[in-house]
Amino acid sequence: MVSLIHLIRNENMKLYKRTGTWVMIGLIILAIVGVGLFSKFVLDSDAQINWKEQLKDENMQLERTMKDTEKMGVGNNYVKQQLAINNYRLENDYPPVHSQSLWGFMIDATNFTGFVALFTIVVAAGIVASEFSWGTIKLLLIRPVSRSKILLSKYITTILFALFMISLLFGLSFIFGSLLFGFSGLEQPNLVYQEGQVVEQNMITYIISLYGFNSIDLFMMLTFAFMISTVFRSSSLAIGISIFLMFTGPQLVQLLSNYEWVKYVLFANTNLQQYTNGIPIVEGMTMTFSVSMIIIYFVIFIALSWIIFEKQDVAS
Amino acid sequence: MGNKAVVELINVKKQIGKSTIIDDISLKVFQGEVFGFLGPNGAGKTTTIRMMVGLIGITEGEVLINGISIKKNYEKAISNVGGIIENPEMYKFLSGYDNLVHYARMVPKKITKDRINKVVHLVGLEKSINNKVGRYSLGMRQRLGLAQALLHSPSLLILDEPTNGLDPAGIREIRTYIRKVAHEENMAVFVSSHLLSEMQLMCDRIGIIQNGKLVRVETIGDIIDISKEATIRFHVDPLDKALHFLQSFYEKTDMEIVDDYIKISLKQEQIPQCNKGLVENDIRVYGITSTQATLEEKFLEITEEK
Repeated sequence: MVSLIHLIRNENMKLYKRTGTWVMIGLIILAIVGVGLFSKFVLDSDAQINWKEQLKDENMQLERTMKDTEKMGVGNNYVKQQLAINNYRLENDYPPVHSQSLWGFMIDATNFTGFVALFTIVVAAGIVASEFSWGTIKLLLIRPVSRSKILLSKYITTILFALFMISLLFGLSFIFGSLLFGFSGLEQPNLVYQEGQVVEQNMITYIISLYGFNSIDLFMMLTFAFMISTVFRSSSLAIGISIFLMFTGPQLVQLLSNYEWVKYVLFANTNLQQYTNGIPIVEGMTMTFSVSMIIIYFVIFIALSWIIFEKQDVAS
Repeated sequence: MGNKAVVELINVKKQIGKSTIIDDISLKVFQGEVFGFLGPNGAGKTTTIRMMVGLIGITEGEVLINGISIKKNYEKAISNVGGIIENPEMYKFLSGYDNLVHYARMVPKKITKDRINKVVHLVGLEKSINNKVGRYSLGMRQRLGLAQALLHSPSLLILDEPTNGLDPAGIREIRTYIRKVAHEENMAVFVSSHLLSEMQLMCDRIGIIQNGKLVRVETIGDIIDISKEATIRFHVDPLDKALHFLQSFYEKTDMEIVDDYIKISLKQEQIPQCNKGLVENDIRVYGITSTQATLEEKFLEITEEK
């Protein structure tokens, strides 16, 4: 038996010996450094000093909108939450997390998981289809290794790449953030509004959970791109469809949220943050429902990839 | 030549939709033998080879490698096979050496660095093995392809059009390697080609495939024997009179007027006698050319019959 580790080493070799991969890694590094320097030297830092007055101003505005919306009879969960959190800050002397602090910077950096998703889709879309376009698939498959094992090694390699990119993002934003902004304000908690109360939460747990939530979307799009790549053997098609869906999917789901069936769409379920803060897209959706939907989609994507890769003839 | 069949095709059929692409092919290739698989483009050579290595499914029939079914026990059967399918497409962004390391990791037994170096030496790529494959010439790629096929010391080597796109020197090199591995290392080699002159020099036996059917299997000696009779062209004037004379002279022989000459199949020793007769009949003989029927003509003859 050929060990899976050997196959994964092969796939990693093929991935990291290509310039394109290093360009993607370079872009992530560049993005973090760029945003760090921008918030250190360009952003206005007065806000940090006058935060109490700013929060009071903001609260006045929030109260106004609250009254307005109450007249119209529209729900305003978000406004209520924000008000409660702001008041808690004023009472306990917790300044809001600011971009010019280590935590603030690290929270900002989680937005780059979108970039990571983009790059991971590119890798997932190419890892099977490229073997076909290079013509190397023929020599790859005539080995004493089952096709499903080869596919597994490719899938694992893609996941490892995604994990690597996310760790890179996390690690770099921590290192670069601490270099630029130092370690002041580390004891600051994250504030969340749960069941009518403001609750303090460990900040690092919060940041990791942000990565966790963002990774679900990334992970599903990666699996989707991998499936398209395997089924249609075209990396451009896989990249095109996946990225198109990644950008338009959540918007479409928002737009169509009045329809009951929307809750069965993958994109209505990948954002699990809708259950921890805020309201679900379609009323009546629960965390369990979304997790089940995600699992169902995952099984379908994986089953299609494997069945087709296993069965399909490899002709020219 | 050993007498152990390394690969055996038993009534192999391939159907795609309603059309039968490969129709009932049976053949055996033995240890230490170079078997040529000859046929025009589109005859089904590559399809047959793809079935033999499990790249495409076999609709009916069986392929056995060292007696092991490629259908039922793929991993075990294929571990005895090395091959190049169509062009030797390797990873261009990797060095030649990394390509070999890649394939070395894909077999159950451990392939040592020594073994890799030995194979590199065998195909004569020592100088450029650390360069990226993207910078290789086609000949070098073909040799690297051969190296990856030989890496795990298979008992069957399958080469699909190994001389495609090579210059004469490259063709000769590949030919030498192929004969060397078959006869010295006692491997069975299965080579497909539409280059007939190549086959003549490389193979011990030849199977001819036409429209998905195996038309004939013969040893190279037999094929050349059949073609001992030469085709002679008589450039003469007047053509009609000459043809009339020749027909009375050799009643049973095929002959015809082509353009401005008469084409006739004769043995070499009959030529002077024939010439004498023509001259005596007042026919002006401008030239006589003899063309030994090559394997190519033999091949066209066989394939046109069908």
